[in-house]
Amino acid sequence: MAPETKLSHTAALILQALQAGFVYGFSIMEMTGLPSGTVYPAMRRLERDGMIRSNWEKQSIADAEQRPPRKYYKLTATGNTTLEAARKRYPLLERLLPSEEMKQT
Amino acid sequence: MCSRIEGAILSCASWLTPGAQRAEWLREWRAELWHARESTRIDRQITWEGEKAMLRFCSGAMQDAWTLRKLSLERKDPRTAFHGSAAECLLLLLALFATSYLLSQFLPGVRAESHPSVYRVNPNLIMIQDAFASDDSLATISIDKYRAWKARRQRYFDGFAFYRIAKEPVICRDSTKARWKVAHGSLNLFWMLGLPTTLSTVSGDAIGKTPGVILSDAAWRRDLGADPHIAGHVVRVGHDEARVIGVAPAGVWRLPGTMDAWLLEPDDANRGLGYVIAHLTSSGRSEMYASRVEILSLNTDEPNEELCGVSFADRTKGPWGLYQFTLFLAFLALPAVTSVSLGESHFCSYRPSWANRMFHWLFLGAKIALLLPAVYFASLDLAYWHTTTYSIGSQYIQLISSFAMMLFGLRWILLDQRNRCPVCLRRVTHPAQVGLAGRTFLAWNGTELMCAGGHTLLHVPALPTSWFSTQRWLYLDTSWKFLFVGTSAG
Repeated sequence: MAPETKLSHTAALILQALQAGFVYGFSIMEMTGLPSGTVYPAMRRLERDGMIRSNWEKQSIADAEQRPPRKYYKLTATGNTTLEAARKRYPLLERLLPSEEMKQT
Repeated sequence: MCSRIEGAILSCASWLTPGAQRAEWLREWRAELWHARESTRIDRQITWEGEKAMLRFCSGAMQDAWTLRKLSLERKDPRTAFHGSAAECLLLLLALFATSYLLSQFLPGVRAESHPSVYRVNPNLIMIQDAFASDDSLATISIDKYRAWKARRQRYFDGFAFYRIAKEPVICRDSTKARWKVAHGSLNLFWMLGLPTTLSTVSGDAIGKTPGVILSDAAWRRDLGADPHIAGHVVRVGHDEARVIGVAPAGVWRLPGTMDAWLLEPDDANRGLGYVIAHLTSSGRSEMYASRVEILSLNTDEPNEELCGVSFADRTKGPWGLYQFTLFLAFLALPAVTSVSLGESHFCSYRPSWANRMFHWLFLGAKIALLLPAVYFASLDLAYWHTTTYSIGSQYIQLISSFAMMLFGLRWILLDQRNRCPVCLRRVTHPAQVGLAGRTFLAWNGTELMCAGGHTLLHVPALPTSWFSTQRWLYLDTSWKFLFVGTSAG
């Protein structure tokens, strides 16, 4: 998908949440207030379009914390570029979910 | 209890996901559910609100599973893979052939033409005409000459038949009046031509008393209501009465003129100019070195006469002979409308495998093999769309349509073949204009097209030059593969 592709507000919010450090589906739900029926399908589409990619965390980490291993998501370079463009379209995006860099500044 | 319901919801939803992704999807959702449950528990206590939130969370799994299924279907969309493929092209041609063939089976004219035995005439017959006649269809021989030839002993001919064409008023048995185009022929006309008749039930004695008339299939249906018992009935043709002795099937008459009836009468009753058909002896057959030969009529009391003999083979070729002729013409004219080169040249060391090259040629052969019958039946459909019998008009329509369809069909096949990737036979797409001749005259300019499977690039020059005159293929190496990962064509 081209960087100038226009994202929906929901997709932009999910990308912003990922950049803010919320890398699991459920944590994105909690932060954005979006229901599971919206977040997970949107993440499938973002992954299909190459804006995010997913990985399973190591079993050893999960075992150490006595919980099942989780699938976490990360922004790709395309996702970052698209998010930059989306921020211009949705100026309040960063105020809703400030990214980690913003928090540091 | 609630955890069982949530587990059941996830299991049910998982059946919506593609089989290959089901296990991973279920694993992710179960892990997420575990974390969601942990977050809703307050001091490890199960609350009603928490359970409701869990059920809401699980209900989203249905939507997620359905989305995954839709995305998987989009990736596998057969329309994308089919578009531009070799199979699509062959199916298109096959559909064209099937349509034209099926249509031809519903057209009576085509059905009649499909039985060559109907119009097969004796191959030892020729038509004698004046050598200076501008048109083969003109009547040029007088009845007196015919009588004289018939009476004289001939070296090259052992039988003659004569007919002339006239428009005659006709009164049918129920006093129906009509105006027919009638061939006044000698008694042996149909016998010599070997033409079949139907409904012939009248004995020779009956024919001897009154002239016999053979009706055309069209006139029999049009003016006599296709009466199956018409044989033996008397009709008035001109001033004389004639007895119906049969009906000629549609399409049998291939000689000049389109007749409604053939009135068979003794030679002394005939007059005027007409057409003469002669049967060749064995000596005559050996002299027929071409379809049209010169004949010199030696007369004792008159100057010798120059005539010509035209073989019936040309006149009775039928649609198949005409089609073969147009096929030959189309192949002859093809270089005039397109380059016959397939643009196989390439400027890199890679050469497609032997199997690829064989498939390339097989595909070309298959396209031509499907085009040939499709054009044959389509031209017949056009020729016999409005007529049920053979006519010169239908012959011309078949000639022109068959030639045009064959020529432009072959042109399309070659153009299509030149734009097919030599590796996967898919049509190259995504044309990109490179350079402008006016600005970069010395640099390359033209169109670049790419194989959707990532095998090749096609360079088509805008202006053919001495150093880049025809299109060239560039085979892409493996470093390009990553661009085409996941494409259905790849």
